[in-house]
Amino acid sequence: MNRATVATPNRGVRRHTGLRAYGYLAPAAVLFTLFLALPIVYALYLSLRTVKVKGLGLGRGARTEVWAGLSNYRHALVGDPDFLGSVGRVALYGLVLVPTMLGLALLFALLLDARGARARGFSRVSIFLPYAVPAVIASLLWGFLYLPRVSPFLYVAGRLGWPQPDVLSQQWVTFAIANIGLWGGVGFNMIVIYTALKAIPSELYEAARLDGASEAAIAWRIKVPVVAPSLILTFLFSMIATLQVFAEPMTLRPLTNTISSTWSPLMKVYRDAFTRNDIYSAAATSVVIALATFVLSFGFLRLVQRRAFSQENS
Amino acid sequence: MRLHSGIRIGAVLAASALLVTACSGGGGSAGGSTAGSTGGSTAAGGKVDLTFWTWAPGMDAIVAKWNAENPNIQVTVNKQDGGDPAVTKLLTAIKAGSGAPDVMQTEYQKIPTLVSSDALADISGDLPKDLKSHYSDGTWQAVTLGGDQVYGVPQDSGPMEFYYRTDIFQQYGLTVPKTWDEYAQVAAKLHAADPTKYLGTFSATDAGWFTGLAQQAGASWWGVDGTAWSVNIDSAATQKVAKYWGDLVEQGVIDNKPMYTPEWNAALNDGTQAGWVSAIWAPGVLQGNAADTKGKWAMAPLPQWNAGDNATGNWGGSASSVTSQSKHKAEAAKFIAWMNSSQEGVDILAKQGGLYPADLPGQSEALSAPPAFFPQQTDFYKTAADIAKSVKPFTYGPNVNVAFSSYNDAFGKATQAKSSAAFVAAVKTMQDATVADLKNGGFTVKQ
Amino acid sequence: MATVVSGPQVASARPAAPSRRVSSSARRPNRIGTVVLLIGALYCLMPVVWVLTASTKSANELFSTLTFVPSTHLWDNIRELSAYRGGLYWRWMANTALYAGVGALASTLVSAMAGYGLAKFVFPGKRAVFNVILAGVLVPGVVLAIPQYLLLAKVGLTNTYWSVLLPSMISPYGIYLARIYAAASVPDDVIEAARTDGAREWRVFGSISVPMMMPGLVTVFLFQFVAIWNNFMLPYIMLGNDRLFPITVGLSGLLNQGASQPAMYTSVITGALLSILPLGALFLTLQRYWQVDLAAGAVKA
Repeated sequence: MNRATVATPNRGVRRHTGLRAYGYLAPAAVLFTLFLALPIVYALYLSLRTVKVKGLGLGRGARTEVWAGLSNYRHALVGDPDFLGSVGRVALYGLVLVPTMLGLALLFALLLDARGARARGFSRVSIFLPYAVPAVIASLLWGFLYLPRVSPFLYVAGRLGWPQPDVLSQQWVTFAIANIGLWGGVGFNMIVIYTALKAIPSELYEAARLDGASEAAIAWRIKVPVVAPSLILTFLFSMIATLQVFAEPMTLRPLTNTISSTWSPLMKVYRDAFTRNDIYSAAATSVVIALATFVLSFGFLRLVQRRAFSQENS
Repeated sequence: MRLHSGIRIGAVLAASALLVTACSGGGGSAGGSTAGSTGGSTAAGGKVDLTFWTWAPGMDAIVAKWNAENPNIQVTVNKQDGGDPAVTKLLTAIKAGSGAPDVMQTEYQKIPTLVSSDALADISGDLPKDLKSHYSDGTWQAVTLGGDQVYGVPQDSGPMEFYYRTDIFQQYGLTVPKTWDEYAQVAAKLHAADPTKYLGTFSATDAGWFTGLAQQAGASWWGVDGTAWSVNIDSAATQKVAKYWGDLVEQGVIDNKPMYTPEWNAALNDGTQAGWVSAIWAPGVLQGNAADTKGKWAMAPLPQWNAGDNATGNWGGSASSVTSQSKHKAEAAKFIAWMNSSQEGVDILAKQGGLYPADLPGQSEALSAPPAFFPQQTDFYKTAADIAKSVKPFTYGPNVNVAFSSYNDAFGKATQAKSSAAFVAAVKTMQDATVADLKNGGFTVKQ
Repeated sequence: MATVVSGPQVASARPAAPSRRVSSSARRPNRIGTVVLLIGALYCLMPVVWVLTASTKSANELFSTLTFVPSTHLWDNIRELSAYRGGLYWRWMANTALYAGVGALASTLVSAMAGYGLAKFVFPGKRAVFNVILAGVLVPGVVLAIPQYLLLAKVGLTNTYWSVLLPSMISPYGIYLARIYAAASVPDDVIEAARTDGAREWRVFGSISVPMMMPGLVTVFLFQFVAIWNNFMLPYIMLGNDRLFPITVGLSGLLNQGASQPAMYTSVITGALLSILPLGALFLTLQRYWQVDLAAGAVKA
């Protein structure tokens, strides 16, 4: 953000402020420190520790926690092909999900904003509704809809003589998981973009409309550029959500052989911490994921910074 | 308008303040009721509160009975997600130093892991001296790990058996397989007669199931050799089992989908799955998942590797243990001994929980009638008792969780590939992952 | 998608279309658009309709009648679910409302204050504070859950309502949003004028700034409400006592009964349906408010 633009409108306020700002920030600061910063520091500490066992490891005092140096990190990054595999799968998942989700969200938002389309209220509510369904429950429902012998879709497809693909097979499972993310996320992103669209002063495009531009042209040449900052932000948050995909594959996993316990990076964290009781390498992997998220997000923001932050000065 | 909003805000803030206060009241009372879980609390009158983490059915009934008879030792049931999650929660609580229950349901294969994390208390001094005589040697060994310490009282066991649909067997003229060779022939015959039907499925999500089959074949995946662990997953016996099922899956005569999915449920209902290699608790699962097939199932001993053999493995079964954080070990031990080895307790375990009690003296009285779902098989529990005697010995190690999660991933790939060679390779993958994990943790491992 | 993509080509090919087209294109109902929206709505409603019909089926029908045809057992299923361990399901429902409602309210207040402070004041370290908060948005919950558990266990707060409520009260995303809303909807001269009139800081915030930020704060509240409602990992790890569970953790437990128990599919499906209803109703009522208000607020700014 540009310091000059922030300072100018705030010049008048600044005289009065002094330490008051810290008062406003205090509750957030305390909670942030206790429930975000401290756990992160603790995770960093854990990632440098490990447990060593003596002999058979049975009985009291057979386990001791010791410093591990960077061996947990080395193990996570180099020693474990599972981790790199999970990164690859999630990259593919994100490539499928994010463009589809944001493309559809933009399309729906533009249609909601355009003149002429009917059933807009109904559609807006319907498309937004899945956002209210927790990912665990959404995956459960879709799981039922995916399984060949219980799915009503595949049943109908079979009756009509259409092919009945096994959507949980190796080649389709990424799409099956992405579909759940799409279902839950498209409405939210649509609303964000739609909100930005509603904020466009109508004078901006009334003129174009009078000049005879089609609705599609108005959408593409006037509306989309104006909501670009919203698109950038929704892209950023979708990207973060992609890196953190967990609940959907975790819930679908017992239904199929094709989702391994390390399908996504966070599933690997979960497996290490909860199935293998190795919170130390889980902590190391989490730190790696968090760092990767930072680098990607801040890199992306840097790339588009001016556009993203021009929004709030409008 | 603005003023109006201001009032609204005030109302919201006031309401939230009220809620927070209400919640602190709720939190306080929750803190009170859960104090037992952080090690138990003793009230002035010498009354002891115990918390009990379990996911077995019928536990509410048995605890209600105990609480009525023992006003000074009151037990609260906290139902948990079965298996791994509860163990993780317990281990995290142990590491944190508080939060563990007094009594915990412990699956037999998890006991070495829990003992090595110092999560379970040795209650040998708090149990009746003759308790050992209530259990088969194999079961008792599972709670003592072969030493003098006792880390729990066995509750139920899961000797494996073969379940099949009598109506479908009749319809296609199939005979009940006595050996695994016959099982393969019957599977092929059924699938040829009706390509939609299978005699069973190979489930890559149920490691305990495969472990039981390996146990029947004579495998014992871990072993103690002096002060070193040995890992024998990749043994001839396990390979034999893996190759056998790999061949069946490769030929396509049995299914390769996991058990315990809605799809598998549907298959049990409509006869697509005409058989199930399962364990003694199967009637309860079948009743819950396919109630309409009542009376159509029968139970037989597991097919054998050699004709005339008499062997089986275990799938499932748990003990009840006292955690190392409990402040009332003696009272907790008294409760679990009563629950699992008194006739009163065993009756409720069997009749209301549908469990197969591990307690030998109480078993026969508790299980006089066949399961309601198998009304025609009147000698069900007599047959079961004979089968239960043929469970082969098996030793679990301290990282069963690693071996099991490796099973899920390696066999998941192999079943997807439908390749017998991949099944055998998966056994090697399990062995390597398990050994590597033990070494990584600093355990002494004998090569 | 096609209509939008074809847009620029149409426009560049015909920079100035005859004005007759204007009136017709503006009034003509957009049939393709309507169809696209309805397909989207259908896609989003389908699983909800499925769960609605599935929850009317008995356990046998669930696996033998595989269509969207409803049955008549909804009431039985609800009764069975309600009977489970003495009505535990309804307690989970109440717990969820408590976690999400109180947590989101507290979080909204904290976010409003912090966002306002960040947007309307200039102070040393502002940029650093904002960057730290942005960084906080990026930290996955799974990563935090275990350290949070271990730390809360040290003060004996695990397995209480507080163990879920307290971590839910801080939302970097909420602060980020509140900052945007504060910047966009509270003009500096209004604050200035109130201060010149001698209003105290808290009064300026409470009776002038917060009302102006209100539409945005409703959004923050909704986001946080949904986030807590959705959160599985935190309560899953923190809580051992099933009487404290929220609905997601409770239903997952019903589904994962272990090998020797039948899964309670009908109860899970009925429970899923009943859990969607209140949140859906909340959305239907609140969505309209914050849509309209947010747009108005943004236009005003």
